Amino acid sequence: MVEKISEKRQKKKWLRLLRSGDHEAFAEFIDKYKETVFLCCRRLGLREAEAEDVASETFLAVYKAIGRYSGQAELSTWLWSIAYRQGINYLRKNRKQWQLEAELDEQIVRSKEPEPATAIQGRETEKIVWEAVGQLPRLWAMAIILYYREEKSVADIAEIMKIKENTVKTYLFRGRDKLKQILRTAFEEDIDGGR
Amino acid sequence: MVAGKLNEDKFDEILGQSLRRHSEPVPAGFTERMLSQIEEAVQKEILARVVLQERLALAGCLVFGALATIGITIFPGRVAGVLRGIATGFTEQGRAVVDGIGQTISIETVRSEWQLYAVLALVLGFAVYSFVDMLVGDRLRMA
Repeated sequence: MVEKISEKRQKKKWLRLLRSGDHEAFAEFIDKYKETVFLCCRRLGLREAEAEDVASETFLAVYKAIGRYSGQAELSTWLWSIAYRQGINYLRKNRKQWQLEAELDEQIVRSKEPEPATAIQGRETEKIVWEAVGQLPRLWAMAIILYYREEKSVADIAEIMKIKENTVKTYLFRGRDKLKQILRTAFEEDIDGGR
Repeated sequence: MVAGKLNEDKFDEILGQSLRRHSEPVPAGFTERMLSQIEEAVQKEILARVVLQERLALAGCLVFGALATIGITIFPGRVAGVLRGIATGFTEQGRAVVDGIGQTISIETVRSEWQLYAVLALVLGFAVYSFVDMLVGDRLRMA
């Protein structure tokens, strides 16, 4: 209980420092969240150099806007929404062929054959799952990552991706279904074979 | 066959665990590069603001100068009267203002000496602005 209160106080103090433009606090912030921002950029399909550019833009935007952060949403949710928006804006500006609709990606997924079981043998579940998520349409993958990895609620995901909650639910349902299909061979080894 | 065996909860658990375990690679030295970029951006912003302030001040001087020249050319008598009024206000009426401190300054007094009060208000406003800018200007610019 006491630890929780002190943790809360520390977080408040850190947020105050962040809002005041303290460089040390912001360095800590970057260290804590850079992985998240790069994850968001790469999941949106940005290449290495593009991902770094967008990540930099995201942190710059955060630095400028942190004074206006009300604290109503969780800090990570707020950051995710900025990173996602920056990534989408970059894609809209620089890649005319990129479309927000998942349909095109969906066709790509349909055309992909599931990996043969031999290719999967010996690899860690984590890597297999991650690669399977990588085969999903970008927006489905984003929803899956936010829900299962970042443990965000459907409402938070809707807020981050600026879509309706029902659309998030559809992405999650379809994404999960597709993952099951893709991972069937891997689970044959893990579940059917061993456990 | 296997799909049937796949427990829904188990699937969610494996999915969640596997995704949480993943660590995304970040280019080396990203934090340092980011901090220097921020520093640079902040300095650029401050410089841009200072340049804007200087330009506004210069524009103000030019506009005021032009207005004064036009005013003197078109209404020489009136401008002389206004300037004389201000000068008189500072020297003679100034004492009355000092005496009036602590007493209520009536609207009538302000109305009759409006040029003097307008100049005083401008000077006072600029002093307050400079003082606030000196104290919290940088912090406000960075926010």
